[in-house]
Formats: sequence, C-alpha cells, structure tokens
Amino acid sequence: MLTLGTVPAWAVLGQYESSVSVDQQYLRSEDRVQAFQAYKVHQLTTANGTIVREYISPQGLVFGVTWQGPFMPNMQQLLGSYVTNLQTALPAQTHVRHLRGLTVKTNDFVFVNSGHMRFWKGSAYVPSLIPSNVSAEVVR
Amino acid sequence: MTLRNASKATLGRFLALVTGLIFLGSCGGSSSSSSSTSTPAANNTAALTVGFGPLGAAGGYVNGIFTSVTVCAPGTSNCETVDNVLVDTGSAGLRILNSALTTVPASSLGTITDSNGDQLQECVQYGDTSYSWGPMLVADVELAGEKASSLPIQVIGDNSFAVPSQCLATPVLFGYGNDDTVAALGANGILGLGAFGYPLDCGSYCTSSSDLTQSGYPYYVCPTGQACSATTVPTQDQATNPVAAFSSADNNGVLVTLPSIPALGAANGTVSGSLIFGIGTQTDNALATTATVYALDEYGDIPAFTYNGVSYTSPTNWSVLDTGSNSLEFLDANTLASVGIIECADAPGLYCPTSTIPFTVTASGANSTSGTIMFSIMNADTLFNTNNAAFNDLGGDSGTSPANDFFDFGLPFFFGRSVYIGMMPGVFAGESSAPSGATSATYGYYAF
Repeated sequence: MLTLGTVPAWAVLGQYESSVSVDQQYLRSEDRVQAFQAYKVHQLTTANGTIVREYISPQGLVFGVTWQGPFMPNMQQLLGSYVTNLQTALPAQTHVRHLRGLTVKTNDFVFVNSGHMRFWKGSAYVPSLIPSNVSAEVVR
Repeated sequence: MTLRNASKATLGRFLALVTGLIFLGSCGGSSSSSSSTSTPAANNTAALTVGFGPLGAAGGYVNGIFTSVTVCAPGTSNCETVDNVLVDTGSAGLRILNSALTTVPASSLGTITDSNGDQLQECVQYGDTSYSWGPMLVADVELAGEKASSLPIQVIGDNSFAVPSQCLATPVLFGYGNDDTVAALGANGILGLGAFGYPLDCGSYCTSSSDLTQSGYPYYVCPTGQACSATTVPTQDQATNPVAAFSSADNNGVLVTLPSIPALGAANGTVSGSLIFGIGTQTDNALATTATVYALDEYGDIPAFTYNGVSYTSPTNWSVLDTGSNSLEFLDANTLASVGIIECADAPGLYCPTSTIPFTVTASGANSTSGTIMFSIMNADTLFNTNNAAFNDLGGDSGTSPANDFFDFGLPFFFGRSVYIGMMPGVFAGESSAPSGATSATYGYYAF
C-alpha cells in the first residue's frame, strides 16, 4: 500500500503522461482515458469521489489539471515545480480576504482553487503547453 | 457519564456511521437541558455590526460583520462573552482565538480525547492558504438567548504542536499562516453558520478511515513524541454550526437582515443589523411571503445562474451567499470586459470600472423557482478613498474564465436584504424542520 512516505515521484503539470500512473497509484483511483482530436484526458476517481483530470497534449505533456472533491488535493503533487508560481504571483490584498479561493493568473501559469468545507474544486494550466488548436477552456 | 455521552444521545442517528475511534470526554458532569416546549420563546436575535472590526481603520479590512458569542465552561455558569466574532455563512462551526478566552480560559473547557488520552486537534485550511490550527474543545455556547450545550468548538492557537503538513494541501503563501492572532484573523473568532444547508465541517468524510490519507484532511491527534496523525471523528465531536445544536426550536436556520447603505458606503460603526435564529419558529422570523425560496442542490449550491444569456451551473460554477467574504466575487474581469469591468491597477483581483456598472443575474433553485438578483459594482479605489468601512458595491474576480469562475456573493449582497439561510431538514433527527414554503428543500435553501 502506498503511503505519503513511499510515493516514488511526483506526477505533475508540465511533465510527461507517464507521470499520470504515479498519481493514479497515489490517489488509489480508477483511471479512465478520454481521447479527443487534439488532446486526451486521464480522469482519476477515488473512492471518496475526488476527481482529478489530467490533460495531455499530442507531445505527451500534461498541460492542465483539474480537481474536485471533499478535500483540497496535494498541490505539490499536482503542480510540481509550478507550485513556486503560486508564491511569486500572489497580489497583496489589504482590504479583503479570500477565504473561499485563490486565483493566480500570469502569462505562463493559471491557477484557481476555490470552495469550502467538504467541497473544493479548481484547475491549473500552462498556456504555452496547450496545443495550438485547443482552447484553455477545455481545462474544466 | 461524560459530556460526549450527553451529546451522543442528541446525535444518536449518526452513531451508526462511526467506524473509527470513539472519543470520550475527560470532563465529567453534564447538565440536562432546562428548556422544554412549555418555556417562553428564547430571545433569538443577536446584534450585528459591520465595519473594520478589531483592527480598526489601520487594518484596512472592510465589510467585516461581527457579533458576540458567550462561551461557558460546560455545565457551569462560568461564562465569558467574546465580541468581534466574524459571522461567516460560508463555513460551519465556532472557532475562537485562544487569546480571546481570558476569564474562561481554554483549560476550563471540556476536552475530547481518544483511548490513549490524546486530545483531538483540528486544522482547517482556507482558500487564501491561511489556516486555523488548535484543539477541539467542548463548551456551552450562548448566542442572544439561545443555548447550545456541550458544543465542540475549535480554540485556535491553543496547542504547541507543529501543524500537520498533510492538512496544508496548498503550500502556505508568504504572509499567511495560522490565523491564531487578532492581527492575522481580523476578528476574535469565526462563527460558522453552516452554509450549504449542512451543519458539520466534515461529516461522513471524517468518520471513515478510508479518507485518512487524503491531503487537506482536518482532524488529528498528536501523541507525545510523535508527529500528529489523521484520525476519524464521530460527527458529534466535529465542529458544528451552533444553531443546529440549539436546545430551542430555533435550530433550522438563520435570518440575516442588514439595512441599505449609500453607493459610496457607510462609515465604520454606523451599520448594524440582526442575526435572527430560526425560520418560521417565532413571530420575528416568519418566511416572508415576498421571499423567493431557492432550494440548494446536493453540493449546497444554487444550481444555476444566468448572466448575459450564459448559464453557469453547479458544481463547475459553485456558489455561496457568504457573509464571511468582503466583496462580490463575481465572474472575472476578462468575461466582464465587454460591460466595462477592469481590474484595479493597484489591487489586482478587485474591480475598478470607470463608472458604476449595474448587473442583473437570474438565479434558478433546485425547486424550479427563479428570480433576479440585482447589484452594482463601483470602482474599488474610489470606495476605499472614502475611508468608509461598509460597501454594497465592492466586487472582484472569482476565477479567470467561465471554466473556473464561481459566485461568492459576499457581504455587499446582504445590505438592504433579509436573507434566510435554511438548514438541511433532518440532519439532526427531530431538530431541524423547514417552514411551509421550503419543505421540499432536501439540501437546505436560501430565501430572499
């Protein structure tokens, strides 16, 4: 049985499709593949209903991920090195707080995580990795 | 006899779901409820104040909404009233800063422990990556004249354990951390009034060991000399919307009423309102015949909104009527560019249109009702320059596109409205019921 301590590698945004199987093991999930003309999607579903989708370009790179479930997923695992983009992109907010979500939008990284107790969802993608004939809106 | 046993009697319907550790309270003695159907109706109205909150103007935090909560050592008359508690219809459960408890310190509250004697701890991460970390303790809680006995509450900051990394699913951003001080939280606590119709902060996801390895998991025990580890928790020991635990019949929801305010806002301390407990249970909380009832779906969302001819549906575009958010987080600047919405140059994420922009959005309930929601969004910089503290037209981005946008109708939505937030009937057997007009709302409802 895999546990936090024995995950062999992170499967991540911006890396190759083979990393999806690591996520599948980590999440102990079912993997269903949907193939479209210009990309394909691995949909991983865990026993508690968490759904993670990983969007793969024809070059075999993960260009986007989405998630939905009762808990936030491990962003380190899903975002890999792009997790550092969260740290650098956050705008200073002094008048309001965002208890329900975090949105980061930069030229090469888009991230939205939102929700509340018992329900979280979100997505992240790398615009430069999206196939040229595909809209970022497919990552949903 | 323990306090926890007393709770189990009340919440007995959930015991069948419990498959993990059984927690036993270490604080002895319990008092049976003194209320009965023959007692006079409870004072069901708590005062609300809107403004900067305890940080004052220097904190800059606008549209905070606060009330007072009385916390008592369980089974005693040893009570302390904590003011400036943030009223949050977007979360469930009462969370109080350890530093706000002085005459009734956390050490005087009941504990929840496992068979090894280790106390139950909770970690809740919020969207902005800040979190609350501290023990779950047991208190008698009073709001106006309403009482919730032996209520599990979180005392933020009352432990010395390192926060479990498993809980912090999103890396904590620079400038954020445990909301364990007034400076960090902007309040003395959070009163989570169980939005989404559901009174528990985790429910069945925390009663089964199958979810114990999930990132973002909230409940832990921290044995001496070991790292904290995730643990299952019976529902009666989870953080609970106090309203659902009231001994009176006013336990089926709340009514939030706030006055109208000018477009340029209202000064700090000049806006007050009422938090009325119960819906259709007393003469002051009847479901208004003019109100439209929007039944929520299984996600606790209004199922669909339509704006500008486009339908946004749950759960992709989830939603909440949320006193705990300061602004109207509505779609995104790119989607709204055609109507003149632009982001503030000095505050990305907030809207700074050159003129005030009116919006009309159609909401569609799960009970096939529909109605329109009208609001305006004004230039945030203009609003902040007034030095006012309450605004009905402060808005900003939710996500970045219709694929990831959500509808967080924050405090601006509530001004000039009476908003009913109805609990899921029957979650606590025999305690929650819906008034006629909302009886088909299986997952709870909003009405306004």
